[in-house]
Amino acid sequence: MDSAVRKYVFIGISILAVILLITRLVQLQVVQEKEFGKESQKNSIKKITETPARGLMFDRNGKVLVDNKPSYTLTITPFQFDKNLIDEVSSLIGEEPGYIKELLSKAKGTNRFNPVKVKRDIDFKLISYIEENRERLKGVSYQVESLRYYPIKFRGSHIFGYNGEITEKQLEEQDGTYYRQGDLVGSTGLERYYETYLRGEKGSKLISVDVNGREVGPYNDGMNDIKALNGSDLHLSLDADLQEYAEKLMLNKRGAIIAVDPRNGEILCMVSKPDFDLSIFSGTPDAKSIAKLFSDENKPVFNRVTQTKYPPGSTWKMMMGFAGLGSEKITTTSTIACGGSFTFGNRTFEDHGAYGSINLTRALEVSANVFFYKLSLMIGLDNYTKYSKMFGFGARTGIDLPHETSGLLPSTAYFNKVYGQNKWGQGLLVSLGIGQGELGVSPVQMVAYVSAICMDGIYNQPHFVKKVVNQTTSEEKMLQFTQRKIDFPQKYYDAVKKGMYLVVNGTGTAKNIRNSEYILAGKTGTAQNPNGNNHSWFVGYAPYGDPKIAVCVLGENAGWGNQFAAPIAAAIMVRYLSGNSADTYSESNVIKVND
Amino acid sequence: MKEKFTDKYDLVLFSTTIIMVAIGIVAIFSATFGNTGGTDFYLKQMVFGIIGLVIMVVISLLPPKYFSKFSYASYGFAIFLLILVLVFGKTINGNKSWFYIGGFGIQPSEFAKIATVMALANFLNPGDSEKNPNKMLDFIKACIFVLIPFALVKLQNDTGTSLVFLSFLLPIFFWAGLSPFVLFVIITPIALAILSFLGQIYFYAGLVVVLISLYFFKKGILLSSFVFIINLIAGFSVHFLYSKLQVYQQNRIMALFDPTLDPLGSGYNVIQSKVAIGSGGIFGKGLLQGTQTQLRFIPEQWTDFIFCMIGEEFGLIGASVIILLYLIIIIRLINNASTSRNKFLSLVCIGFASLFLFHLFINVGMTIGIMPVIGIPLPLVSYGVSSLLTFMAMIGIGMNTYRHRNLYL
Repeated sequence: MDSAVRKYVFIGISILAVILLITRLVQLQVVQEKEFGKESQKNSIKKITETPARGLMFDRNGKVLVDNKPSYTLTITPFQFDKNLIDEVSSLIGEEPGYIKELLSKAKGTNRFNPVKVKRDIDFKLISYIEENRERLKGVSYQVESLRYYPIKFRGSHIFGYNGEITEKQLEEQDGTYYRQGDLVGSTGLERYYETYLRGEKGSKLISVDVNGREVGPYNDGMNDIKALNGSDLHLSLDADLQEYAEKLMLNKRGAIIAVDPRNGEILCMVSKPDFDLSIFSGTPDAKSIAKLFSDENKPVFNRVTQTKYPPGSTWKMMMGFAGLGSEKITTTSTIACGGSFTFGNRTFEDHGAYGSINLTRALEVSANVFFYKLSLMIGLDNYTKYSKMFGFGARTGIDLPHETSGLLPSTAYFNKVYGQNKWGQGLLVSLGIGQGELGVSPVQMVAYVSAICMDGIYNQPHFVKKVVNQTTSEEKMLQFTQRKIDFPQKYYDAVKKGMYLVVNGTGTAKNIRNSEYILAGKTGTAQNPNGNNHSWFVGYAPYGDPKIAVCVLGENAGWGNQFAAPIAAAIMVRYLSGNSADTYSESNVIKVND
Repeated sequence: MKEKFTDKYDLVLFSTTIIMVAIGIVAIFSATFGNTGGTDFYLKQMVFGIIGLVIMVVISLLPPKYFSKFSYASYGFAIFLLILVLVFGKTINGNKSWFYIGGFGIQPSEFAKIATVMALANFLNPGDSEKNPNKMLDFIKACIFVLIPFALVKLQNDTGTSLVFLSFLLPIFFWAGLSPFVLFVIITPIALAILSFLGQIYFYAGLVVVLISLYFFKKGILLSSFVFIINLIAGFSVHFLYSKLQVYQQNRIMALFDPTLDPLGSGYNVIQSKVAIGSGGIFGKGLLQGTQTQLRFIPEQWTDFIFCMIGEEFGLIGASVIILLYLIIIIRLINNASTSRNKFLSLVCIGFASLFLFHLFINVGMTIGIMPVIGIPLPLVSYGVSSLLTFMAMIGIGMNTYRHRNLYL
């Protein structure tokens, strides 16, 4: 092809493109001019985003736990707003002028047409004032938003969690374009974990505005409007009455409780103390209370159920039993001689009694340390790690809350990393055998473990939410959680469970909590704490023959397991089994027996 | 023989450009008039317009051999900046394509446009041994020059700008001698896929055109039927692929063709901008009199949507004059490309002409609702330092080509 021809091809295409553009302009500006002219005079369009109400949360009996209440949020739309009004508006909402300036400068670079949320939960008097001075206070307006409201007699701080204004970092990293500056987003707890269910879908309204900026009605009869869809409701397995009771038991204490239905992993109650009042985060956050909360040395925001990593103490001994049986180092009937102490190398490990030659069941009943020192050395670290993993240790349980810890489960690789290859000895195994030393577990891991034991090896993923119900379509979605089987011969489970039965109902370490009506089983534990008083543990389940509830209680620096944790755990189990009527807890029901 | 002044200086490009930049400053002034923040945008544009003018004139005077000499180096540097911005850049309106230096946002993707055109031209015509785009290997190598910046800009989440890098590929190939048949084989399947998407009747009409063209290409029955079958497959498979997409992905594609389907997102701007332009009428509402522009219904209307303000306040006459001024620039660039004896600069000029046409057509097209909303600026007019300097530098090279049109190297 000749190069002159190529030149005319180029020029031809360019002219064609220009003709196309100008033709379209003629169509818009000459043929349709009247139509658009009318629209531009009367129907300039303004877009208003509608924020949906978040989904609610219900307990297992359909009681509302987390509700919404309507509130007013003051907004400023940057392109209409006159900066001279900053001082006046600041004093109206009781903030420094810098507060508004900062918010407006943050909004720079985004669509100046979008209202910036300035202050939540403002007074109705202020709304009337804005209405009366509408002409003067250009760009100042308000939106109706729903805020969280908790119609309950307990706190549930770590369960529900709170919502907070989205941070700049979250805005930048969000997947998609759903959130804008000033939006609320689930920050902790279920609010965060189920954010995409709870938030709903934003809607928008196009409103016709006249040349003076006054609203004259919906654009295109609202045909282009999109209704906001409220968030979906969460139906929890939580038992509100039991939760209230559990929180009362822990009043002014430090520690954690979690109880589940071992048959399916549904969480019945969960307490982490100290806790906090969620309502300080609702509305305009109470900055002083929040600052105090986050600087509190008792760490009330920290969820002790899912985030602590403490050694489990003697509650670990069932785990050792399974490791010994599984690796065939012992049988359910074989015995180990238990003198009053055990010497390994040049170190002597004490026990609180001499029991003679005893089998596993008896060793669990009396919590014989020497039995487990020896057993631990027999099975070795690799088996120790292998069998503990089967019960979910060293991994997250998958509870439906954010920030769960996987705890610390030692292994050969771990010790090689910490101490160096061959620079550590078998002596570490001795302490590990009784759940002390470099071993970290969380109460949620412990309750899943004791549930699996009482269910003869069926391990359920602990969870709060049973189903999600779409508010618009009423469609119900049952959430699926995992269940797996830990495969051991039935007699292994029987031997271990018998030991746990005897702890309470025999001559064991928790006979103080024996109950005449319900047969409880469990195991106490005391985790040595080099930084202070020991941590008190108890894991248990009831009724013995037909388990309906499994529980784990942790008392931080609370001393012996049977002293603090066991009575609380027993009270919870009895309360639940009695249909939330019996109250067996009394501070005096305490004995001091070493475990 | 005495040389005339106009033989050395391309006054057509020079004066048209100055008029365009001046119109841009007025448009930005009106579009930001009474803004609560950023009323000084037109002042910034003025300052950088003057800086750009100096750069443009200096570039037009340089010895042309430097351009080919430094083309690979500047391409390498541009790619380096594109990678750097991915790592350290700042995200604005969802695009991670900005550096912030002393309060000014800089977009390396704008400068990369020039560098890529020059590198591609230099590859096809390094001065001694010409590459032939009809050869498969040369063709593929040349494509890679374009695909690297395309991919990097796409990673910045800036789809509009990334497409710009594809816009000049075929025009430059064609100018370098790509046979019309190869071009035909490349373009028709894409065209037929789009036509088939718009409706069956368009697809069959397109097939008939392809058949007739194939007859005139006289390439033998085997090759012709092969090309025809490829076209058939392109047309049919697009429906199949579409049906495999998720509903929200289908909606997104439909919204490209009909923005009013997405009134919350891109459709909102299109509704507004059509009202603004349509209500301008033949003569326009006059400077600062546009109700839509002055009420700020169109977000960021001083950047990608500046044409709304032009349409509303200057009317059909003003808008057409501006489009025709672009046509002058584009034809002038094509003309300079065709008269130059320097093959490298000739290819570069064609690349720039394609860039101007693509930007003009997409940008104006989206404001009047015939093109999908992809954010690219109106050359020389939209507010934006990087884009303004880039397009003025292109004009500078266009003027240089004119000045040295009788030099071979």
